[in-house]
Amino acid sequence: MINVMLTGVGGQGTVLASKILAQAAQDKGWHVRTAETIGMAQRGGSVVSHVRMGDRGEEVFSPLIPKGSADMIIAFEPAEGARMLPYLAPHGMLVSATTGIPSVSSALGQNPYRGAQVIAALADAFADAPERLVIVPDAAILKRVGNSRVLNTVLLASAIAVDFLPITLDDLYGAVEVCVKPAYIDMNLQAIDLTLG
Amino acid sequence: MTKKLLMGNEAIAHGALEAGVAVVAGYPGTPSSEIVETVARQYARGAAHGVHVEWSTNEKVALEMLFGASLAGVRGLFTCKQMGLNVASDALMSLNYVGVRGGLVLVVADDPGPISSQTEQDTRRFASFAKVPVLDPSTPEQAYEMVKAAFDLSERYETPVIVRPTTRIDHASAFFDVQEETHALPPLDGGFQYDPSRWVIFPRRAYEAHGEINERLPLIAETFSSELPFSAFNAMEEAGESFTGQPTFGILAGGITAAYVREALRMINERAAQANIGVPAYRFMQVGTPYPFPERAIDAFTTGLADVLVLEELDSVLEDQLAAFCGRMHGAFNIHGKETGAARDRGENDVDDILARIERFLGLTGRLSLYRFRGNSDYGARSIHLSARAETDLPDRPPVLCAGCPHRGAFYAVKQALGGRQAVLCGDIGCYTLGNAHPLDALDTCLCMGGGITMAQGIAVANPEKKAIAYVGDSTFFASGETGLSNAAYNGHDITVMVLDNATTAMTGDQPHPGTGHTLMGADNKPLSIEACLRANGFTLIERTNAFDRDASVAAVGKALDFEGPSAVIFEGACIQLVKPKEPVIINNEICTGCKRCITAIGCPAISFNPNLTGPRSRDRGQATIDKALCTGCGLCTQVCPFHAIHMDSAVYRGAPMFVTAASQTVDEALADQELAAQREPGRLAETVVDARAESKARAGAHVSREALEDDAARMQAYASAAPASEEAVAVGEVAAEDAEEVLEETLEPGGTLEEVGERAEEQQQALAAEEQQAWIYDGDDDGPPTLFSAFDATDGEGGRND
Ligand code: SF4
Ligand code: SF4
Repeated sequence: MINVMLTGVGGQGTVLASKILAQAAQDKGWHVRTAETIGMAQRGGSVVSHVRMGDRGEEVFSPLIPKGSADMIIAFEPAEGARMLPYLAPHGMLVSATTGIPSVSSALGQNPYRGAQVIAALADAFADAPERLVIVPDAAILKRVGNSRVLNTVLLASAIAVDFLPITLDDLYGAVEVCVKPAYIDMNLQAIDLTLG
Repeated sequence: MTKKLLMGNEAIAHGALEAGVAVVAGYPGTPSSEIVETVARQYARGAAHGVHVEWSTNEKVALEMLFGASLAGVRGLFTCKQMGLNVASDALMSLNYVGVRGGLVLVVADDPGPISSQTEQDTRRFASFAKVPVLDPSTPEQAYEMVKAAFDLSERYETPVIVRPTTRIDHASAFFDVQEETHALPPLDGGFQYDPSRWVIFPRRAYEAHGEINERLPLIAETFSSELPFSAFNAMEEAGESFTGQPTFGILAGGITAAYVREALRMINERAAQANIGVPAYRFMQVGTPYPFPERAIDAFTTGLADVLVLEELDSVLEDQLAAFCGRMHGAFNIHGKETGAARDRGENDVDDILARIERFLGLTGRLSLYRFRGNSDYGARSIHLSARAETDLPDRPPVLCAGCPHRGAFYAVKQALGGRQAVLCGDIGCYTLGNAHPLDALDTCLCMGGGITMAQGIAVANPEKKAIAYVGDSTFFASGETGLSNAAYNGHDITVMVLDNATTAMTGDQPHPGTGHTLMGADNKPLSIEACLRANGFTLIERTNAFDRDASVAAVGKALDFEGPSAVIFEGACIQLVKPKEPVIINNEICTGCKRCITAIGCPAISFNPNLTGPRSRDRGQATIDKALCTGCGLCTQVCPFHAIHMDSAVYRGAPMFVTAASQTVDEALADQELAAQREPGRLAETVVDARAESKARAGAHVSREALEDDAARMQAYASAAPASEEAVAVGEVAAEDAEEVLEETLEPGGTLEEVGERAEEQQQALAAEEQQAWIYDGDDDGPPTLFSAFDATDGEGGRND
């Protein structure tokens, strides 16, 4: 079973990313379940999508990933990735965007939140296993792409490019073509290419 | 046919359509809303033939409408969230006595947690109270099957049937094969059949009907135990060591918890196999039909058991029924569950908790823990933890009103208008419930749909010295606000109702409502007017205002608060999900003082504070900064910043010297002051000032020129001296006009165009951000975590992961 958790802030596009992953898994003939955060939390709160794939032919029962068993966490926002660390499996990998999104409560507080602090804390936490933390310079890549709405595709491409999941870039291209609205397919495919350099 | 990824709610909708449903109605509520939306989408695509689908004004209306359709011989689907059934319960209780003709299925979505609700009530309990059968799916696939089966059951026993998914069914997805096109079944036997002895409920008929219900429930329980597809919803399996013979451990579960149990049992068996430990024989059963309790199937399940662990969410519905059954049958098994502390008493279950409880139940605690983590490899295997310090530093991220939300302006205006006056602010259900958060702190209470209007009346009676204010949204207004309004007028309650009209049902995903006139069938009917409804319900003082216009809103609220008796203010401003955002605002970092007023006053998520930004007036305090991707250009913050450092729509000011904006603000303020003064002295001044203000604004919107502003200032002075107004009004007007002049004189210091200033701030921001990210971009030495780029470099030629 492969468990991928996508986490971020309401409105960042985790739902589409989880659909794309699910489609890629379905195309490989795996059983898939996903679960989304829909409702109040979508208004700028923390959101999590769970994608569970039976890569060894097994059936998936629960749509939610148990603690300590996410093979990969894809964080659209570093603090949200850090928050979900208890779900990371002992061999699991964290792929995180760099750009922090301030929250209203942190803006009100004495020490405004900066994404860089969290990245530093993550680097500390992964000090013994640095190869399990991949930091995506999302701002630089999005600037290259020229459209901030493709953050989800950029992160998916990054997650697959590190060659940790048994899902290939070709699988990703195929799934994007099924899941993304026709008008945006090219933009998303281009975002994948630009992510890879 | 290619399989499609469908959310549980989408699958439920397809199931109903494939079952030939002809009328679908409900009221939006998380986690149920996508069912009606999916039916509407299928209808709009031309794929759902013969169906009528609607958002009704509330749940009671929807269910009554559907009951009419049922008596007229067609199948009907009702959807709501758990609390929606409270609203519809009046209809449900009676219609069960009357009995249905066309199948009537109620999908009532429960919300353990609760994640987006006010209660954790259990619809299975409601079903048994109403004596209505209920089905409880454990997967989206089962929900789809159950909805289809429910229609048949309903027609066979002439009973309404409830299907009760929970959030993790509604919002979980799986791949489905569904029919491309569906057709509604035609009415049974030519439609409605005249039979007052059946369709008119009377005490005598109710007594008979009660007997009929009591007779059919055991028959349904029997169907649940022994007939497909229902018996498959109550499937049983045995596993564990066979040498111990008959299992003595039983696990009984319902809903999503049954899926968690399956997952946990698989983990236990895998780990036990690795550890070479035997798992005691056990029996597991899902109860997919909790009421009426499928006793014969339960009897088979409990045979020979010594202990039963009951796992379910919300109330102890299965556990209680099992206990009653055990007592009646003189059963010899112990029951463990919520009532004995062997399961969570509330909130959601999860695999982790279920796993631990089953391990304990089977006497395996501690024996499998070494084998707990079996990764795909031992790739640096160990759990990763943040330091405690870093953990507490993570920013809280509760849901908030969106950037550009019109409610923010309304809340701010009410607070401003109240000034020091004591008040109780009664909230209601909708996005605006989020106004209770800091820094808006806009709500003191929140109860249920429409409850703010009526609670305010109780407060007004009990504490007349406090202003009683009720907030209500536009959709909520039509759903259940109006009876409260007529009560206020009838009983003469001194309340002020703030109607937050954002032209949609926003929290649940932007559904239309009577005030919009849009329907799911495509027709646009004449929108109902909130103002007319208020008037019809006896409200005489009704103000309308643009929620984004602070001054106008404060004035409107002031007027309503001063009125004795029921009054209302209608705040108009569309939900940001409905309109195209305007250009983001710009903070002029030559002016921003870093006072944080814009943040502490309105808490817009698009405004944050960057302690590293510098400017001539903020020095090392840091400055506020706008997230351009979030800002909708609503302009509220521009009216809040005391230094006029935030500017709207750079296009308007393009090329104009920056001081003009400051001056225009002052002229605006002068006009606003005059307007306020004029309100106290109605007459010609009021008209002329309002006209002048509108004109000035219109010009500001087109292009501001220094001449135009000077003109404005001059005219202000003219009005102030010429109009036959009170001395106070004249004085205020004169002072304001002088201010305007002064600003015009003073601000000759060139700061570049606003665009240039905006660009400079932007550059500074980007430089800071780049610096931060640079620190993490691979620089050739191998210390520290790799960025994506360095990961590529490192894997070059190795073709594997970066290890
Ligand atoms: S204009 Fe101001 S208040 Fe409105 S969305 Fe932008 S930052 Fe927020
Ligand atoms: S923009 Fe205005 S209110 Fe916000 S910190 Fe700067 S000076 Fe203060």
